[in-house]
Amino acid sequence: MTVRISELSVVGPAGVMVEPLSATVEPGATLALIGESGSGKTLTAKSLVGLLPRGFTATGAAEVGGVALPLAGGESAWRAIRGRTASLLLQDPFTSLSPVHRCGDQIAWTVEAATGSRLARSERDAVVEARLAEVKLPARAARAYPHQLSGGMRQRVAIAAALASDPQLLIADEPTTALDASNQAEILDLLRAVQVERRLSVILISHDLGVVRGRTDQVLVMREGHVVERGETASVLAAPSHPYTGALIEADPVVAAQSGTRLSPAQPVEGELVVRVMGLEKSFGTHRVLDDVSLDVSRGEILGIVGESGSGKSTLARCVAGLEHEDGGTISIDGVALAPGRASRTPDQMQIVFQDPYSSLNPMMSVGAILAEALRVAGRDASEVDGLLETVGLPAQFVRKRPAQLSGGQRQRVAIARALAPRPRLLICDESVSALDVSVQADILRLLAGLRDELGIAVMFISHDLAVVRMIADSVVVMWNGRVVERGECRDVLTAPTHEYTRLLVAAALRENTAPQIGRE
Amino acid sequence: MTQPLGASSLTTSPQPPALRGPSARRPRRRRPVLVALALLVLGIAFGAAAFGSLIFPDAMTQDILASQLPPGSPGHPLGTDELGRDVLQMSVAGARSALLGPVIVALGSMACGVVLGTLAGYQRGWIDFAVSRWTDLLLALPVLLAAIVVSGVFGGGYWVTVVLLIVLFSPSDIRIVRAGVLEQSARPYIEAAQMLSLSRWRVMFRHILPNVTSLVVTNAMLNVAFALVAFSSLSFLGVGVSPGIADWGRQLTDGRAIMFVNPAAVFMPALLIVVVAVAANLVGDWIGQRLSRVGEDVR
Repeated sequence: MTVRISELSVVGPAGVMVEPLSATVEPGATLALIGESGSGKTLTAKSLVGLLPRGFTATGAAEVGGVALPLAGGESAWRAIRGRTASLLLQDPFTSLSPVHRCGDQIAWTVEAATGSRLARSERDAVVEARLAEVKLPARAARAYPHQLSGGMRQRVAIAAALASDPQLLIADEPTTALDASNQAEILDLLRAVQVERRLSVILISHDLGVVRGRTDQVLVMREGHVVERGETASVLAAPSHPYTGALIEADPVVAAQSGTRLSPAQPVEGELVVRVMGLEKSFGTHRVLDDVSLDVSRGEILGIVGESGSGKSTLARCVAGLEHEDGGTISIDGVALAPGRASRTPDQMQIVFQDPYSSLNPMMSVGAILAEALRVAGRDASEVDGLLETVGLPAQFVRKRPAQLSGGQRQRVAIARALAPRPRLLICDESVSALDVSVQADILRLLAGLRDELGIAVMFISHDLAVVRMIADSVVVMWNGRVVERGECRDVLTAPTHEYTRLLVAAALRENTAPQIGRE
Repeated sequence: MTQPLGASSLTTSPQPPALRGPSARRPRRRRPVLVALALLVLGIAFGAAAFGSLIFPDAMTQDILASQLPPGSPGHPLGTDELGRDVLQMSVAGARSALLGPVIVALGSMACGVVLGTLAGYQRGWIDFAVSRWTDLLLALPVLLAAIVVSGVFGGGYWVTVVLLIVLFSPSDIRIVRAGVLEQSARPYIEAAQMLSLSRWRVMFRHILPNVTSLVVTNAMLNVAFALVAFSSLSFLGVGVSPGIADWGRQLTDGRAIMFVNPAAVFMPALLIVVVAVAANLVGDWIGQRLSRVGEDVR
């Protein structure tokens, strides 16, 4: 039942996207494919299930349990073989399930497709229940529509559907990237447990080394279509031979969290107070999002705000920025209290860098026009655009480019440049690096730390990942259910958390491995 | 095994079968030949509208009450109509009134749509309520019937029809622009613009509007086609263009009487209306696709 891939390569309209690569995955073993966006890891995965986009072709050979995959074959050749040999688990459980069908139906269809026969009604409920039990979901999940489930539960349904055809190879393409830190570990552990049970071969694709560590046997590091390094996961991570692998490991927040490395030295808070938030309250309908939140940010300080989605950290940022109207409490800048809303605020008080670099820049405006507009707002001359680009580490010729021509990291740099243009006293980074690859993420964090040192601005750095926050923040505030549950120096919070929830976050940040090892069960 | 079941086994996402399969994955693309042909047709039609009176200065005043000739007669390749006027000359001369009105209607309703739609979509509140109820009201009116009634009351005429059609066509523009603006307003780049404390006018017309241009322009081209047909219908019914002005719609009415003597007197203007309307549709689609690709994300 071994999976063998030999000389697999993918050719696209722009040339060779994946150089020939070979690999073997034993039953029950996991092969990790690591690389940043554009490295060809997803194309490799798609070629193994015959889902390459139009214009792309795969060559070489691959077999799963002795059955050759029709790499160059058409849709009909694939239909006969797909699912029963290899199954694909996608990244985003919010879009990979059909929103208008019950979860149980979606699993049952896959079972029916794989066996080629329709299930009787009575039989069908039992089959679906068994499949759900395998992914530790209660039988009532079968009756639910995807929107009624949490992200973690949805991804469990997706796993059940992917396994419903009883494949011998499961390809998981960034299976946890869209999930919260606490859910990530659960899903990965579940995958591992199922894999051990079924003696399943798994190809796990990720840009996150934390996912790979301790959960995979072999690793292939890919860059620009080439395999730059391969070997046993443990030995590659311990002693990388290729400089790129080394850089990836160094950029990983988890590695930094475990070793205690920082991108910028923690600074004692001694600057003048810039922002003071006192007893902030906010409700959406009857749901209380912010409950008596108070915090201070001083000049030259990076304050990290950590919490999972729904903890109120983004709402806090939006209230401070004036994009949301608070119900009670005060927000003051430089000692002056501000009325709720944008009208009482000026661009030189605070700016936000948003999470998604793909939608935070106007697609119809050139980089030059975007930055010139931000400069004019502050009464600065448009000729300073080049200098601004230089500040964020972009060459001057980017002036003419449109956002669509830039990578995610480059876009985020433009967004930071735009935020810096009015010389704000406070920079709010709302999950600003969460959508980026690990290596790009480290670059942006380094840029932010450098800007703080250079310009001495105050920074509110919001993230769901404590590992990322502790790389640059001086002090940290932990939010849970709209309240501040813990605050203090970054190092103290990480090493000696007092609140139960903080302990969970720290464990998630260090990606503490709770997965069963092979053969132990 | 049925198609949707087969498709659902390959990923974890059982999707409707219509979205799957090789043919569905191909992006819909208009063949350039067809677009080139449509552009050529529109070019000739607008050329005729602009310069037709120079080529055939006396289309309306020639040979009044001469004989009615069939197509292929010497000097009259398409024959003559019931008043003995050359059908070819009439068709060229008719381009102006047949195209000018629809273009003004499309531009006018586009202007209404951009201003009211953007205001309604971005400002929300009472403006949105007022504009939306107004469009609901107009959409409830049957266009042609309303045009006939109003023309009847105000005595008809070309410019009354133009104004009337602008009002009756504007709801589709308003709704389309409003929907586009609503969608764009929720995007982070609009919040980034608000963080710069830009005026609401600048946000609306400098940031949002360029992102809905493709919708606006495509709809305007479609409106040209619709208005062309509406104008011709009204002229055919006798409430659009007044007699004595060359127009494709009028030619249709007048040509009916001698349909069996000279079929070209009816079929020529009819063909022109259809061909130009189809060409405007094709070009509108093509422009829309081109424009929407400008800011397209290449994820």
